[in-house]
Amino acid sequence: MKYDVLVIGGGIAGIEASLTLGDAGFEVLLVEKDPSIGGHMIQLSKVFPTTDCAGCITTPKMAAAASHPKVHLMTYSEVKEVQKTGKEFRVKVLKKPRYVEEDLCIGCGRCEEVCPVLVPREFDYGIVGRKAVYIPFEMAVPKKAVLDLEHCMMCGRCERACPKDAINFLQEPEEVEITVKAIIVATGYNLFPPERKKEYSYTGNLTLIHTNLNPNIIHAMQMERLLAPSRPYHALLRPGDGKVPERVAWVLCTGSRDKSLGNPLCSRVCCMYSVKQALLYTSAIPFGEAAIYYMDIRAFGKGFEEFYTMVRDLGVYFIRGKVARIESRNGNPVVIVEDTETGEIREDEYDMVVLSVGLLSNPELSEILGIDTNSYGFYVPPDENANPVATKVDGIFVAGTATCPKDIPDTVAEAAAAAAQCIAYLKEVGT
Amino acid sequence: MAEKQAKKELTVKKLRDKGVKPREEVIEMAKEQRKIIKQISECLKAGPKTIPEIAFEINMPVGIVAWYVLTMFKYGQVEPGEEIDGYYKYKLVAKGGGK
Repeated sequence: MKYDVLVIGGGIAGIEASLTLGDAGFEVLLVEKDPSIGGHMIQLSKVFPTTDCAGCITTPKMAAAASHPKVHLMTYSEVKEVQKTGKEFRVKVLKKPRYVEEDLCIGCGRCEEVCPVLVPREFDYGIVGRKAVYIPFEMAVPKKAVLDLEHCMMCGRCERACPKDAINFLQEPEEVEITVKAIIVATGYNLFPPERKKEYSYTGNLTLIHTNLNPNIIHAMQMERLLAPSRPYHALLRPGDGKVPERVAWVLCTGSRDKSLGNPLCSRVCCMYSVKQALLYTSAIPFGEAAIYYMDIRAFGKGFEEFYTMVRDLGVYFIRGKVARIESRNGNPVVIVEDTETGEIREDEYDMVVLSVGLLSNPELSEILGIDTNSYGFYVPPDENANPVATKVDGIFVAGTATCPKDIPDTVAEAAAAAAQCIAYLKEVGT
Repeated sequence: MAEKQAKKELTVKKLRDKGVKPREEVIEMAKEQRKIIKQISECLKAGPKTIPEIAFEINMPVGIVAWYVLTMFKYGQVEPGEEIDGYYKYKLVAKGGGK
């Protein structure tokens, strides 16, 4: 199969780049490793500083990519090999088995209804369960079921319930060979795993029965899910016991600016998403008390300082100090910190604590693509200032958080820049 | 219809015939899950309860009960009622009334 461009990664950067290239008349193959496109952005509640609904921005773009005559989606697939031959790239893509025939599945969810196995739901970072066969999320594109054979009892109930005979346990991984003239890498970031910060007592699996860790200590993406219009619960509740949380704290720089964890970098988005979450929380629970523990507030972008000032003036507490540890008292998390403005050692009890986790690199394709990464694993362009979306390989471009942590407007702008550079390159090599 | 049924059973059976079996841990996990859901459902038959009340009654960690009750809500098996001191009381959804 031949396309003009391969876009790797179906998050907001990959979708934006694909649509720009498709609108310019180029044939694009968008490869996504998960069962749906949408990336991290579709999981968010709202965006900062405008507090626009993240799903309302992302969903139309996902639908546009799916229906675009020049954009071809290949989900649940991974790039395994890339070879440059002359002006072309030969690429091997592994299409993982869904055990569901995509062209037959109508996304009705009958298979999910009858499945007897529960598994922590990835889309909600485990705060609720899904079945072993499931629709990834309500707005998934494509809205097709996927069967997780690792957690399947092979009882066959899903196969009997499917009105379209779409379940196929005999599907095998399929290797697809394609040829393209250019590649855009938009593979995004990995979330810092908060369990690595032992002092903060985060539990990674809410279904573990024997645990001393506190399920009311969650990370920021879990809080995004609790705040999102598409949230898994019927109200804003803490996962540990279903209580409406009356006091919530955010602990900034969890896994960022922390040499002891090997990540001295600032993640650039945590200050502002925490400020946004505190605003959304106090809007959802008007009597709720919100506090943010910070080392510095980095409100550097357009409208950020005004947004931070507004939220502070609305009554969110800002306490300066690096949190030493989080303990538990009667099921409630207790934040232990030195307030560096007063010198006081504080022990503050909350209903729920949100760890504002940082963004780590996702360098897994660097060897396959033959492009450089820095010591933190982010892709580095040969000339960061003159051409931040280029790589050392002609015809391969990068966009979004694959190069460094950045917010959504910067990601979208960079995706458009990568697409523009790619178009110029395609015209140069001839299409 | 018989032909359709035969075809439906074919792929999972064929995979089993190839020697692919479900993992023992999955079978054990599913049994445990069924037991917990049954305990929660039995407990709620007596009337609406909060998550801590259910946990106390079935003698299970409240965090685990919360995960199951909120997952049961997601699948339309329970629904929230009144809220008392920050805790919702959950009741069973009559069969056929789920999502």
